[in-house]
Amino acid sequence: MLKTHRRVSMAFAAIGVSALVLAGCASATTETATTETAAGGDTEETTTNGDVPSWCGPNEASLGLLDGFGGNSWRLITTAAGADEVAKCPSITSYEYADGQGDTQKAISDIQGMVAKGIDALVVFPDSGPAMLPALRSAYEAGVVTVPYRVFPDGTAGVDYDLWVGADFFADGVSWGNWIKANFPDGAKVLFLSGPAGNSQGTTEREGFESVLTDAKYEMIGEQPFEVTNWDPALSQSVLTAAIAKYPQIDVIVSDFGPSLVGALPEFQKAGRSIPAMTASDGNVLACFWEDNKDANPDFKLMTVPTGNDNVRLAVQHAVARATGGVIPTETAWAGPVFEDSTDPAKPVTCRTDLPGGLYLSAEMSGEAQAELLK
Amino acid sequence: MAETLTRGPLKTSRASLSKGLLTVLVSTVGLYILSAVFAPTSITAGPQLSMLAFASVLAVVGLGQMLVVQQGGIDLSVPGAVSLAVVIASHQPNGDDSKLLGAVVMAYGFSLLAGFLNGALVGLLKLNPIIATLGTNALLFGAVLGISGGTPRVTTVLLQDIVHGLTWGIPNEVFFVVAITGIVTLVLKKTTAGRRFEGVGSSGPAARIAGLRVTTHNTLAYVWAQLLFTTAGVMLAGVTNQPTAFQGNSYLLPSVAVVVLGGTSLLGGRGLPLATVIAALFLTQLDQFVLALGVPFAIRTLVQAAALGIGVAAYTINWSGVRARLKELLSTARASNGNKKSFSPPV
Repeated sequence: MLKTHRRVSMAFAAIGVSALVLAGCASATTETATTETAAGGDTEETTTNGDVPSWCGPNEASLGLLDGFGGNSWRLITTAAGADEVAKCPSITSYEYADGQGDTQKAISDIQGMVAKGIDALVVFPDSGPAMLPALRSAYEAGVVTVPYRVFPDGTAGVDYDLWVGADFFADGVSWGNWIKANFPDGAKVLFLSGPAGNSQGTTEREGFESVLTDAKYEMIGEQPFEVTNWDPALSQSVLTAAIAKYPQIDVIVSDFGPSLVGALPEFQKAGRSIPAMTASDGNVLACFWEDNKDANPDFKLMTVPTGNDNVRLAVQHAVARATGGVIPTETAWAGPVFEDSTDPAKPVTCRTDLPGGLYLSAEMSGEAQAELLK
Repeated sequence: MAETLTRGPLKTSRASLSKGLLTVLVSTVGLYILSAVFAPTSITAGPQLSMLAFASVLAVVGLGQMLVVQQGGIDLSVPGAVSLAVVIASHQPNGDDSKLLGAVVMAYGFSLLAGFLNGALVGLLKLNPIIATLGTNALLFGAVLGISGGTPRVTTVLLQDIVHGLTWGIPNEVFFVVAITGIVTLVLKKTTAGRRFEGVGSSGPAARIAGLRVTTHNTLAYVWAQLLFTTAGVMLAGVTNQPTAFQGNSYLLPSVAVVVLGGTSLLGGRGLPLATVIAALFLTQLDQFVLALGVPFAIRTLVQAAALGIGVAAYTINWSGVRARLKELLSTARASNGNKKSFSPPV
């Protein structure tokens, strides 16, 4: 009995200690994240001293950028891009950032806290989706300019928030489709790899390139509507090797997370085939992989669209324009133009061997500044 | 304790040794025949080379889990341990081959820490291994995020060459697994320490009376396991060129599955390293087979689950008991409720 009691109390003590240590770890990570972001923003600020953009109006305002989860390199770069965009407008007198740390309750109370402090505009990455809608609505009803972006929170523009600035995955799909059409006028067998089964990004992209590749000579091979990879490099590798063995002819690979395929593409060479043409989202590691392998693989052409770190910039522009009385941008969804195209000398594939592979050179922020953030 | 009650006379335990290896061998050969008939592309060179690489990683993870399971424990810190090794092996060198050795040493340093933490919590403080190792898992993920901020870097070229290169047409991972399996088997079966380790796992109280260091063996099992998890993580970093920070997540269930499929009892005792490694080959080839069949993702998941269920049932259901009971039911008209306990699976 006594022994059991001792064990139970030991267990509780151990759990308590782990919880404390974990909490320590968590807060430590966030702090570094915030300071690094601030530093990134500052360095950018000094470099931007040109004309005031049209979306920046004359009225002074304060702005808050709220992240639902800020703990990966993509988010770090995105947050720094948001801060950089805000810094272009001198009418924004105060800028605040909060990280929901993946906790919906914290994300909601971040919004409420900023509204209570009398902030004028909010740009929100509503990671938890519809769960964030009541908080967004209450901010909007309190007269705060509220612009959610990227993740759709449900609700209606003008009722629950000012507007939602999404990424135009359909447009990405159309870009890929057009490129395939231009490079394979006689038809092609296309293998599309996306993330988890049924994810809306993959589905929308698929609709995009299907709207262009209407002709029957373009054949979609593999699992429909896309091969499920969970955006996991290991699973991508298994899926791709299976497809290589199964389909003697693959003309184009479409991937909405290009960098995750870098480990898998050499499987083509191992099978004695050239890496085929590829349309994807960008990443420094992918560009460098192309650079290293293009000579040995005559069919390996590469076209990329941006991964979307600058989605936040359009959202910031909308929020600032509304809060400061500037000109509201006409675009309401962020669309990345073609970033790299190995068949077009005007858009060369850019590999920066001096920088880490995990960077997105499509982002407006310079590779050096991103590398600094990721250190 | 339960293990002393359910453990049968020696002859069944001896029979289960050959049963473990035999079952998993027969299943694997059967699977290859199925693959050849229904999805011939899955056994061509490309998929096989890639499959062997992942099977090797799983085999090493499985061997680690087996050592813990032999002591009647379970180590649920596999995802954190593997992810941390992947992150350290890719983040620390950041593409610079010369820093690789330091990174690998650092990874093993962390694995010793985690192993002793698990061992102390379970072996010394007698905490429930499920709770203790889950706690350690959370700590390890704390370290993953602390080191990488959620993103590892690209694997260095040197690590890729060492781990994922080909020697005489065979992926290097296979040589690693053969060596590791050889070491584990030799130490377990041919050394005094190994025999004691198995003895302690079979029956703690009996081993204690025999004067063996029960706590030490219980504790060290978690350390050996962590060392193997880290080895698997470093290998995985070499296999996937651009790993994520959470690459270990998909190894938790399979690590236990290969141990069970390999025939090692979850109650502890005798370990079957070779059968565990073959079970890893079986599970990974099963994935490759279903992928090559081209069935939808949902069916793929169902087939894997079914295979696992059948595999576990093959060992945990007392088939001779079932047969005896069926015979009894058939021969006598009236239903008997007498020997229900022979039915109850240990897990």
